[in-house]
Amino acid sequence: MHAQIVLFDGFDPLDAVAPFEVLSAGGTASPGAVTVELVSAEGPRDVVSGTGGLALRATAALDPGRAGLVLVPGAAGRIGDPGDLPDHDAGDGPAQPDDSIPVLLGRTLTTELPVLLKAAMDNPEVTVSAVCGGSLVLAMAGLLEGRHATTHHLGLDMLDATGVHAVRARVVDDGDLVTGAGVTSGLDLGLYLLEREVGPRIAHAVEELFAYERRGTVWRNAGPEPVRF
Amino acid sequence: MSVEGTWDLSMSTPIGRIKAVAEFRREDGALIGTARGTGEEVALNDVVLDGNRLTWKQAITKPMRLNLDFVVTIDGDTLAGTSRAGRLPASKVTGERRHEPKTP
Repeated sequence: MHAQIVLFDGFDPLDAVAPFEVLSAGGTASPGAVTVELVSAEGPRDVVSGTGGLALRATAALDPGRAGLVLVPGAAGRIGDPGDLPDHDAGDGPAQPDDSIPVLLGRTLTTELPVLLKAAMDNPEVTVSAVCGGSLVLAMAGLLEGRHATTHHLGLDMLDATGVHAVRARVVDDGDLVTGAGVTSGLDLGLYLLEREVGPRIAHAVEELFAYERRGTVWRNAGPEPVRF
Repeated sequence: MSVEGTWDLSMSTPIGRIKAVAEFRREDGALIGTARGTGEEVALNDVVLDGNRLTWKQAITKPMRLNLDFVVTIDGDTLAGTSRAGRLPASKVTGERRHEPKTP
């Protein structure tokens, strides 16, 4: 499995690095079975995250035609008040150091990402994945209509407002769409993808190396619907 | 209060202001509407006028996908109220009716 982790201006470094390291370690444990690279819509470039100016280098352009995994991290920035509404047109206005997370996520809509991510969603050979606000990048682009997904707990209402069945779970498996909740769930998402795509022995070996055990039940739309407690 | 006509709307969303042009008209007595935004035209759903209070639902895809619920009060050629995206807090919406040149 080849994994492309998509960087964009203002991304959350941990959202990208946690799955990067988990998948990379999975690749070491299963020689050749997993490869990982950082990509951007624009091609190779240094991409500045939303945390303290930390930059990571994308080494290639996102290729939605390439089979495997495409993973979208969320953004890091000011949380703000949900009732706090920016005084500029959507997707407009120069980047500000105190841009809120919804503004940073919304700015991706003015890049090539929506088109590239739609092609990835439409490609039956690609599993699309997202951590934290990454689900909102996909959802705001209208790519998750009617799908089951999760995001950071502060973003669930926004995810719901885009026509998604928002699920309050740490990892949600909706077939060719697998999403994780807040920041650290990128570890759980990476470990789950390793288990699903490569096997439980590899996932377990990485858990052991990282001194971390995956948390929570992976939610799938299967089995009886629970009645209210 | 009449609502028929073309309205320039401005609404606040978490990613910034969105502008749209809404058109309301009556067909067989029923109030219907459409809205044009950035490169798309969508039908307005459940348009209800009660006195000067107008409500409708709108599913936009540009510049982002959002389900919006509107509650506005009409005062002559202006309107003001709120739009709400799902369970998110309501945000301000304002509008102004266009003065179309009268056809002879």
